[in-house]
Amino acid sequence: MTWLAIFLIVLGLFFLVVGSIGMLRLPDVFSRAHALSLTDSLGAVLVLAGLAVYEGFSMNFLRILVVLVLVYLLNPVISHATIRAAYRSGLRPTNKESK
Amino acid sequence: MNTFFFFVLTTITILMLVYFYRVVRGPSVFDRVLGLNGISTKAIVLLVLIGTMFERVDMFVDISTGYALLNLVGALAIAKFLEERGESPK
Amino acid sequence: MRFFAAFALFVLWLVLSASYNVLHMATGAVVASMVVWLSPTAAPHLRQFSWWAALMYVPWLIVRILKSGFHVSRLILDPALPIAPELIQHKTKLSSDGELVVLGNSITLTPGTITVEVAPGELIVHALDAPSCVELKSGLFDERVGRLFSVKEDQK
Repeated sequence: MTWLAIFLIVLGLFFLVVGSIGMLRLPDVFSRAHALSLTDSLGAVLVLAGLAVYEGFSMNFLRILVVLVLVYLLNPVISHATIRAAYRSGLRPTNKESK
Repeated sequence: MNTFFFFVLTTITILMLVYFYRVVRGPSVFDRVLGLNGISTKAIVLLVLIGTMFERVDMFVDISTGYALLNLVGALAIAKFLEERGESPK
Repeated sequence: MRFFAAFALFVLWLVLSASYNVLHMATGAVVASMVVWLSPTAAPHLRQFSWWAALMYVPWLIVRILKSGFHVSRLILDPALPIAPELIQHKTKLSSDGELVVLGNSITLTPGTITVEVAPGELIVHALDAPSCVELKSGLFDERVGRLFSVKEDQK
C-alpha cells in the first residue's frame, strides 16, 4: 500500500514539474493554460490520491477524497474563466505560421 | 516515509517559486492570474501534505477545503473584473 | 428527490465534521434539511441523468486525461517545442445546461484542449496541437457526454 502511494506521489510530482517547465517555456496565455491544466488535473490530483492511499481506508481517506473532487470540479472553472476573460479582452493565440 | 514527504514538500515549494516568476514577469495580466491559480492549487496539496507529516490530516484537510473554495471565489471575481475592464493601459 | 438531496448534504456534513455526538449530528440534519427546504425548486428537468452512464464515463475520462497528459508532457519536454496552437469552432448537438457544463468541464480538464467560449450548440476550443483534439473533432466526446443525459419519455 505504501509503495502504491509512493508511486502515485512520484507520478504526480513528475506532472507538477512538467507543468512548471511548460509555464516557463510556452509562448502565450492560451498555451500556458494547458500547462496549468496539466498541473491541476494530473499533478495535484495524483499527489492527493497518493496521500489518500497512504492514509488507508478511514475517515481521512474520504475527506481527502472530498478535497480531490473539489480540485477536479473547480479548477477547470477557474482556468476557463481566466481564458475567457483573456479572449474577450482581445488577446488572440499566436500561430506558428503567423510568427 | 517522513523523509520522502519532506522531499516532496521541498520540491513543490521550489515549483511554487517558478510560478511566482510567472506572476512577477508575466507579460499580460492573465498570465499573472494563471500563475496565482497554479500557486494556490499547489498550496492545497501542500496543506494536505503537511497534515500527513504532522499526522493531523483531519485538521489540515478542513483548511485546504476552505482554501479551495475561497480560491474559486477570488479567481472568478478577478476574471470577471478583468473581463469588464480589459487589459490595463500601460 | 429532495429527500435524496438532503441526505447527500447530511452525508457530506458527516464526512467533513467527523465528530459523532448526538448534538453535532442533529445540527447537521437540521442544517441539511433547512438548506434543501430554503433553496428554490429547480426547473422541471427535460432530461434525465443516468447514474450508470456516469459510472462508465468517469474511468473513461481518467484514462483519456492520463493519455493526453503524457502526450502534452512529451510536447513540453521536447527541446524543439513542436506545438501548433489553433482555435477550433466546435459545433455540438448538445444544448442543455447540464450537458454543456459536463462537456466544457471535461474539455478543460483534459490537458491539450481548453474551452474558451461557450454558447448553446457551439464551443470555441483552444487546442495545443492537432493530435490532442482528434477525439473532439470526431464527435466521440459529444457522444459520450450525450449518453449521460437521456430524454425523458413522458415529458418529451
